[in-house]
Amino acid sequence: MCLRNLLRRRFRTSLCIFGVSLATVFIVAIGATTTNYTTVIREMNIFFRGDVVVVAEGAMVIQAFPVIGGNIPESVVEKVQQVNGVKTAVPMLVRFGYQVEAVIQLAPSNVSIGIPSGNWSVLVGHTPLKPGGNWPSSDPDKKEVVIGSSLAKQYGLTVGSKVKMENMNLTVAGILDTQSALLSRSIILPLELAQRLYYGHTMWIGNMVVAQPEEEGTEKEVANRIEAETLGVEALTTDERNEIVEPLLHDIETWNIGISGALYLLSMILVITVAMMNVSERRRDFATLDAIGAPKSTLFRMVITETTLIGLLGGLAGIVLGSIAAILIASIYTNIPLSMFFFDLFNIVSPLLMIKILASTVAVSCIAAVIPAIAASKMNISEVLRSEY
Amino acid sequence: MIVQTQELTRTYRLGASVIMAVNKVNLEIKEATFVSIVGPSGSGKTTLLNLIGLNDHPTSGKVFFKNEDTSLLTNKERRKIRLQNIGFVFQTFNLLPTLTALENVELPLALAKIPLKPQREKAIQFLEAVGLTDRLQHRPKELSTGEMQRVAIARSLANNPCLILADEPTGELDSETGYEIIKLLLSLCRKHKTTVVVATHDERVAKASDVKYSIRDGMITQDSG
Repeated sequence: MCLRNLLRRRFRTSLCIFGVSLATVFIVAIGATTTNYTTVIREMNIFFRGDVVVVAEGAMVIQAFPVIGGNIPESVVEKVQQVNGVKTAVPMLVRFGYQVEAVIQLAPSNVSIGIPSGNWSVLVGHTPLKPGGNWPSSDPDKKEVVIGSSLAKQYGLTVGSKVKMENMNLTVAGILDTQSALLSRSIILPLELAQRLYYGHTMWIGNMVVAQPEEEGTEKEVANRIEAETLGVEALTTDERNEIVEPLLHDIETWNIGISGALYLLSMILVITVAMMNVSERRRDFATLDAIGAPKSTLFRMVITETTLIGLLGGLAGIVLGSIAAILIASIYTNIPLSMFFFDLFNIVSPLLMIKILASTVAVSCIAAVIPAIAASKMNISEVLRSEY
Repeated sequence: MIVQTQELTRTYRLGASVIMAVNKVNLEIKEATFVSIVGPSGSGKTTLLNLIGLNDHPTSGKVFFKNEDTSLLTNKERRKIRLQNIGFVFQTFNLLPTLTALENVELPLALAKIPLKPQREKAIQFLEAVGLTDRLQHRPKELSTGEMQRVAIARSLANNPCLILADEPTGELDSETGYEIIKLLLSLCRKHKTTVVVATHDERVAKASDVKYSIRDGMITQDSG
């Protein structure tokens, strides 16, 4: 009966469902995108946990990696290595958003990481290579690289495939078997090869050093010593790296909540307006039901059920369209083809997020219906019936 | 006595003025009688029916239903009496437009929590009684005005009420159809021993009734003969 009541005013009901779904689309798209963004950022802090990351003074560091900033000469690496309490100092050359041509076009979100051969575990920990793969040869002339699984999948690369970066032909020696957002989009190569790739044969350049303390828990002291003994660098502990991004992440989450709240409010206003119109138009129906003895609760429930249906249908449509929007945004943002994301839909928009948003949309519609439902159940039947004639 | 009123008065405020819709009405309606309340538009017929039907509260005076003072009842108890004891027939039929004829008749039965199967059987039986067996699945907009009023009558009979209140049941109908509706109400009154109170300005209805009241400016008088 409730569904039929809604269908009686098809255009209005459709518009209302469309309005709710539109709000839900934005909630899903913004929610999924910000959640992914913050998850990736937080995930990056897994790297080098307990170690000190040394970067050039003034470099912009997002969690463990310098995104923008100056280079570090080889002498800095040697100095860091000599600091008391430092077990190893591993230099790296990290490049976000590099330009490549020809064989593959890599996205701005992709990252290439140059690291001295044999020190792979400092970066990837225990992450294995897919069967048949090997870590790159220490000989830079062999021009071997390891690539992330997402890149391999996107470009159909296997062990032995050729890729071209900065006019240099490289060979895929292995593929990382990982779900990590950063590693799966990485090209890992020997440091010397990375230096050749970006700066030519003669230059030794890195842009970060990972200093592993000799003893656990001495991270802060080691960082202080590095900064005291080495000019022109910043030594960041795990906590300090977190502190850099936490305000940013907090702001993103606050904006997400704020925007979602505003959209829920808009949905609520829309549902209230439509429900009030429906109740006002059906005054005679409600009065008739009342006259023949329908309990107030029946009238109340009828309005609540109708708006809940609007919320449910709008929410479902919004989640479907919002998921598509979230995939589109992710695809545009990462330059990864849409087709790859469709199989990973639940990684972009988690089922939990979908359920949360659907439940919230239905709840908002239910709450919005309370005022119209009270109006329907508190109707003065004699007045309505009298005013008919 | 099924309904009795004592000095029943209902006033309305219309801006600064007070309208006396029903003015100290005393009437007695016996069981199984066909009663007409005749009066022109605005004389207070609908207000009186709403008061008798427990849809409205009097400004002063009392309504006794089956000798029970209804002013002492809660809204929930009044609602229960309406559901179980009173059937309403409105001038504009007041059928729910989204429901079929059958579903409209089933509605009071569903509200009375009659199980689905007997609910359906009873509704069909009442629609048969008003001659609408071939219109069960039609929505109100697919029915003629006469058929709509028949559905409304079938709905009013659904819970076997002892009192049917019909407010201008022939008002929207042509003369011939109106006459058939009156015949139908009269036959129901005789056959089921149901009390029928009809508010009308149709003299033919008045002539067919056992008791005739006239109402003018909210004041009622019983016509002899």
